[in-house]
Amino acid sequence: MNRRDFLKNAVMSGAALTLPLGMAPFLSMAEGADRPDLAVVRGASPARITSAAVNELGGMRRFVSRGDIVVVKPNIGWDRTPEYAANTNPEVVAEIVRLCYGAGAKKVKVFDHPVSDARRTYKQSGIAAAAAAAGAQVSFVDERKFKEMAIKGQILKTWPLYTEIIEADKVINIPIAKVHGIATLTLGMKNWMGIMGGWRGRIHQRIDESLVDIARFVKPSLVILDAVRILVENGPQGGSLSDVRRLDTVIAGTDQVAVDALGTTLFGMKPDALGCIRIAHSAGLGNMNISRLRIKRLTI
Amino acid sequence: MTMKNLRRFSQTLFLLLFLWLFLQTESKGANELGYPVKIFLDADPLIWLTTILASRSFYGVFALAITTIVATALLGRVFCGWICPLGTLHHLAGKLKKRTIPNKQVFLRSQNLYRIKYLLLTFLIVAALFGVQLAGLFDPLALLIRSLSLAVYPIFSYTLRSFFDGVYTWDIKFITVGSEFIYGFLKKTLLPFSQPLFFQGIFIGLIFFLILALNLREKRFWCKYLCPLGALLGLLSRYALLKRSVSEDCDGCGVCLRGCQGVACFSGSPGGAILDKVKEWKSAECLVCLNCDDPCPKNAVSFGFSRKQAPAALDLGKRRVLSSVLAGMAAVPLLRITPLAKVGAAEPTLIRPPGALAEEMFLKRCVKCGECMKVCITGGLQPTFIEAGLEGIWSPVLVPRIGYCEYRCTLCGQVCPTGAIRKLNLEEKAATKIGLAMIDKGRCLPFAHNMSCIVCEEVCPTSPKAIWFEEVRLRDRYGREVLLKQPHVDLSLCVGCGICETKCPVLGRPAITVTNLGESRSKDNQLLLS
Repeated sequence: MNRRDFLKNAVMSGAALTLPLGMAPFLSMAEGADRPDLAVVRGASPARITSAAVNELGGMRRFVSRGDIVVVKPNIGWDRTPEYAANTNPEVVAEIVRLCYGAGAKKVKVFDHPVSDARRTYKQSGIAAAAAAAGAQVSFVDERKFKEMAIKGQILKTWPLYTEIIEADKVINIPIAKVHGIATLTLGMKNWMGIMGGWRGRIHQRIDESLVDIARFVKPSLVILDAVRILVENGPQGGSLSDVRRLDTVIAGTDQVAVDALGTTLFGMKPDALGCIRIAHSAGLGNMNISRLRIKRLTI
Repeated sequence: MTMKNLRRFSQTLFLLLFLWLFLQTESKGANELGYPVKIFLDADPLIWLTTILASRSFYGVFALAITTIVATALLGRVFCGWICPLGTLHHLAGKLKKRTIPNKQVFLRSQNLYRIKYLLLTFLIVAALFGVQLAGLFDPLALLIRSLSLAVYPIFSYTLRSFFDGVYTWDIKFITVGSEFIYGFLKKTLLPFSQPLFFQGIFIGLIFFLILALNLREKRFWCKYLCPLGALLGLLSRYALLKRSVSEDCDGCGVCLRGCQGVACFSGSPGGAILDKVKEWKSAECLVCLNCDDPCPKNAVSFGFSRKQAPAALDLGKRRVLSSVLAGMAAVPLLRITPLAKVGAAEPTLIRPPGALAEEMFLKRCVKCGECMKVCITGGLQPTFIEAGLEGIWSPVLVPRIGYCEYRCTLCGQVCPTGAIRKLNLEEKAATKIGLAMIDKGRCLPFAHNMSCIVCEEVCPTSPKAIWFEEVRLRDRYGREVLLKQPHVDLSLCVGCGICETKCPVLGRPAITVTNLGESRSKDNQLLLS
């Protein structure tokens, strides 16, 4: 959020509080569009539902400015092909890359710090090829670019994080929705584990607090939760097609807590089932009360 | 182009082909490598012959080995002089030797040492006949690939990486930009994906550099005196049709001897008869380098096809041959008087790669070339020392603390030249156990310290996961209730890949470890009833 947006939002929300309820629609029109907090789009084409979701939120130009260096952070954690739903859908990733360039981005970088061998995860997930075809700079993480950073979180005081994320003008998080042993589900905030260096397994001791610490440090401009296929068993890496459900859905939003909160409902859960959502909400990082959010649902 | 230049061209071409295939022996992320990286080992008749003798079974492709045999029978040791990449490296290293010795001393050198290689060959073949495969330790191609994989390439990578990392940390504007550009290019071409690190890299490297250094004593020392493959090819080339002939114009000046890459052009002791001996030629010792052709001032030397001219007899000495035979026979019990073969007494950390044959057969097939270790995606495959007995030295063992076996990777089986590691498809791989993981409850965080963890469960690659957890309510020292997930291993599902051990946050001595108990390849080393 730049200063201008901040001032505009502050004025608008200030105005909203003082005006009678009936005036709200006019205000949102004044804001440029009838913008929802979250867009949930369902449809057969991963690329089309992705661009439709971004469109509902005001289009990529709202998030990416001309000349920006953008990091698009998918989950490329595992040596699995797309139909196993262990990594973000490659078509979703490629579409986001195209939209960023369409909005005038100077460079779009795509990378992840995988658990399995990076060569295999990049290749087998289909993400490296799809993102590169869309013009992204796809690279393996370079160990030298992890720098100890003062996170000043509740649990993580300092941790080596990937400098390209911190130095980027805009960061777009595109996780995939999966079940996960220690974290129950892995959604948006959990995806930040992929920018951590060092011996990451240690954060399992206080996983929820640690994830919120990182999420607070790296605020994304946009989050697209890929639920084209979700993993309902054997997460986070699956391995059997029977572990996968096809939902043909993406959820997009700017509030990473809200996106994750709505993401839990894909699994028939409530937002407070996830510790990191509860903690992030009470820390003021975002809003987990789905009933208070404007959600635009669309099927194309 | 003279024949000599043609030979140089061939040597360069094959060396570059070899090195290029060596660089391709690395994952690019696909399931298949896409290049026949073991083609040189396929063409190696010593590996082929000893493997067949030791394992008493045929294996894989042998068309190339037969081709080498036929080519040698017709043309002599062209493989040594024109193709062998180690031979070419020796040829180059030999150039470092000063050429200050007068002609006469050429004759004075270690003329009888050439027998060593035949005696070594005898030893290796007899040992193979009795079921011990030791040829890989001395075979020039296995030796070269092993040395490059485990020592030379890691040194190369380490040197370049530390140089570019140094420039990177200086962070001087234009220099660093340039160096990073070059580094990026090198990473895509010559450098390995990650720095290879191997146990015993230093010893294997020292042996290799020592062998190269022997060229300073005498050029192509290895090829002339030690190489068992050279000996085998020498025996095959005794009746080769391509022969060297010297016309009556020869005045015995000895110029031809200086360039000789073999020990082909002289025998006997130095003395009055030297000049006559210049005409003499041992086909078995000739590397067909053709160095003797051009410099002859009388133009008396020529190579051509002929069937006449009986080859000089190979005199190794009956006692020496008998000794090698006996040594080869004695090596078998000497290497086997170890309790390692007893059920339950084998080294439990000897986790063999997936697709490895049962240990006894594995040792008869493995030629210790190190291809599997070179290609291993996580670097977990390491050379053994004596875990598998001395017979199994430098054979592959998975060390999960260093790297695990990637669940869907089958590269080690694809590069194994002798089928010691079978080539598996993905279904077979998923069903192949290389061991079993077990939890050390005294170190595991949720068991021993009431702390949350289960990294092992997260990374377990099977579906359903072999590692499952039980939710338990415990109390901490202040009586507060803690809800914990405690991991357990389902031994029927565990394949022993070791990723749990690799990623276990309890470093050094992990809380979950894999041993080879339960490995599919063994009939006896089993735990489960069914």
